[in-house]
Amino acid sequence: MFTELISISIIVSTTAIAVVAFFIAKKWKKLGAEAVAALQTAKLDADEAKANLESAKIHGCIDRTRRRQVEAVFDVLRDSVLVVDAHGEILHANGCAEGLLFVAPSEAAGMPLADVVIDHQLVSTISDARCGLPKEGRQYEQEIQVGGETVAYEVHLQSVGHKDEAMHAVVTVLRDLSREREIARLKSDFVSKASHELRTPLSSISAYIEMLVDGDAADETARQEFYAVISTETVRLQRMINNLLNISQIEAGLMHIDRERVEFGELVERAVRNMTPQAHAKSLDIHTELASVDLAVKGDSDMLYQVVVNLLSNAIKYTPEGGRVTLSADAENLTHSLHFSVSDTGLGIAPDQTEKVFDKFYRVENYRRVAQGTGLGLNLCRHIVETLHSGQIGVESQLGMGSKFWISIPVGECSVKLAA
Amino acid sequence: METKTHKILIVDDEAHILQVLSLKLRNCGYETTTAVDGKDALRQALTDTPDLIISDVQMPYMNGLELSNELSVNAKTAHIPVVILTARGHTLECSDTDIPNIKKVLGKPFSPRGVAELVAELLIDVPASSTCNSEAA
Repeated sequence: MFTELISISIIVSTTAIAVVAFFIAKKWKKLGAEAVAALQTAKLDADEAKANLESAKIHGCIDRTRRRQVEAVFDVLRDSVLVVDAHGEILHANGCAEGLLFVAPSEAAGMPLADVVIDHQLVSTISDARCGLPKEGRQYEQEIQVGGETVAYEVHLQSVGHKDEAMHAVVTVLRDLSREREIARLKSDFVSKASHELRTPLSSISAYIEMLVDGDAADETARQEFYAVISTETVRLQRMINNLLNISQIEAGLMHIDRERVEFGELVERAVRNMTPQAHAKSLDIHTELASVDLAVKGDSDMLYQVVVNLLSNAIKYTPEGGRVTLSADAENLTHSLHFSVSDTGLGIAPDQTEKVFDKFYRVENYRRVAQGTGLGLNLCRHIVETLHSGQIGVESQLGMGSKFWISIPVGECSVKLAA
Repeated sequence: METKTHKILIVDDEAHILQVLSLKLRNCGYETTTAVDGKDALRQALTDTPDLIISDVQMPYMNGLELSNELSVNAKTAHIPVVILTARGHTLECSDTDIPNIKKVLGKPFSPRGVAELVAELLIDVPASSTCNSEAA
């Protein structure tokens, strides 16, 4: 009886009680040999139980650590993860799943699925999946209401458990497709805009060719005019295609640039020389202000020349006859950068349009009727300056008062020479 | 000798398109006027009622669909047939062009010859409104 009591105590209260009882009994010497032997056996049992308990503690600790590690992995994922046990209770919901739940993810564990997940269809799908899924799981797309917005998700369900078991645990991974959908929409918009812009010169070319074929040109002068339009529009089409290819190559990170020491002052003077005929045709005054410092930068000479020509060409196009265009370049030792700007006394740009002028295919409304453009030149300039040369491009403008387009480019290794 | 001819308003912000269509339609015996945006076209349509309007869609200030809408709700211009000529044909929904006065939507690139044939077809029962001088044959 006493032995049984001791043994029960061992099981209930660990070995400490057994050990104490054994020593007390030995000291009092009131117990018979049988009782002492029973107590000794009990002590051995207690030692084993103690060892087992220690082992269980260690295993429990390992399990908790492993579980925390697995949860930590779920929590760093950018996808929402819901783990539901075979009874339909949440085992874990990661941080990303917050928008899908009535409660905070940290409070979801142990709660029934239907009390936690907002979307009824998702609840039903996960509940059904507990009956088992094919080995490869189940994947589908679903739109789910998250915070008042409809978000498209790719839902991947995987059941976890033995095939003979009636109910399984289910791991659900939900990937937000918003970004992919947005990229697809942007791509589609781009193709649509590009197609529209390419069709415009193409329309002129095909229409004038048909007019020539149909004999709609009254005389040789008219025919020469038609040829000139076809030629001009072909050049425009070619320029658009080149710009589009350059922009897409830069955006894809495929554009190779030759970095060399570029004498920016010389580059500006060359651009002015080449554009002077167009400026003279409109009686524009081209004024150049180049600071008498070293205006060298480390960059791609052809690309930077294209930027200068684009900005100068725009200023000439959109400045009325008799106006003035000023090109300025200066180097700043403090920031080791080169500043270049093209100011004009042209049409100017409304404040709500200044941010958009560098967007692909954007054309300022009041510019359309003044001159043709591809809507790509400034976008290409931005890519050349910002993506390829780590610089900045911007515009200051006032409607009817002219515009000032500016760029700022780090001088690169040339800064040493500048500082000296 | 005075004869009646149809008057056509061509609306596009591309100068070459205005030029080529004007020439083609003049060669076919029509009188043409041009506008470079929707607002300009609406003003002209209200003051100088044309028999038919050919309009681009994407234009500054007022696009071709907005123009068609404005024309369709004005008693003075609601009867004028409109032909839409657009490079955005593939992105236009049927509902976009579901305006009573829009008779046809043509895509760019277009055939001036085809446009002239369509104009003749649309104006076959429309009495010519403009008077012009022409030499007797």
